[in-house]
Amino acid sequence: MSKYTAKYLEEKLAKELDAQYVQAVDESDGCGGKFSVVIVSDKFKGLKMLQKHRMVNSVLAEELKEIHAFSQKSYTPEEWEKVQQEKQ
Amino acid sequence: MPVTVIKSEEEYKQLIGADKTSVVLFSAEWAEQCKQVLDVLEDLSKLLGDKLQFITITAEEYPEVAMKHQIEAVPTVIFFTKGTAVDRVDGVDIPSLSAKCKKLGASATSDQPLEERLKALINKAPLMIFMKGDREAPRCGFSKQLIAIVNETGLPYETFDILTDEEVRQGLKTYSDWPTYPQVYVKGELVGGLDIIKELKANNELETTLKG
Repeated sequence: MSKYTAKYLEEKLAKELDAQYVQAVDESDGCGGKFSVVIVSDKFKGLKMLQKHRMVNSVLAEELKEIHAFSQKSYTPEEWEKVQQEKQ
Repeated sequence: MPVTVIKSEEEYKQLIGADKTSVVLFSAEWAEQCKQVLDVLEDLSKLLGDKLQFITITAEEYPEVAMKHQIEAVPTVIFFTKGTAVDRVDGVDIPSLSAKCKKLGASATSDQPLEERLKALINKAPLMIFMKGDREAPRCGFSKQLIAIVNETGLPYETFDILTDEEVRQGLKTYSDWPTYPQVYVKGELVGGLDIIKELKANNELETTLKG
């Protein structure tokens, strides 16, 4: 159990990371213990994958103590555009 | 780490005097049961070899040593910390022997600074995976998916089950600045968790990254 919601995570990530796009999905059937998140931010520019994930992890350091399953996809706007194109 | 067979009294004294806690089996070749205990120690040494040293000595060849510790029958196992006998198991009592080894192994970890231990662990194999459970029985969905992906590459790797060691579980999060498990290390460097492994795979960079 955790007290966090998808909306809360989206707002926090958007604010702290200046994200252009954030989507958090609660995959825990409402108990708040499992989330998957997509984040698109300029702040990821020039960072390696590990560093991007670390940045997100540090923003959510407190939350991750309670969320026991967390998966993230973190993109720069350029990478995000590419991902979107590939999907089509 | 195999069980060391004592060849001289000098060697014996040096080994039991070490900082590392020793588990010494006093045995005799003619006693079948000693072989049984030795087998157990060999198994335990694989589990606890980094924390305890396992030794066997032929009791009859070193009567003074045997007398000093009142070895009346073989097998007898005595535990030494810095040369002092701290505990013993007389006869074949495998449950008691395992329990005592595990207990001493757990308390011995504080002798080695945690940071050094973590460093040794992440460098134990070129490809190391810290996970919940082991490759045969992963005990969380992320660990399971990760093992499946790494298995596809066919690369050799070793795993560490963080559920068996709370100190490592918490310590490694801080040491590597990474809050979740599983964690993948190549040559002692953190590659990342499941998300990163998946992304590497999608970009066709997984094999080269894991090879280091």
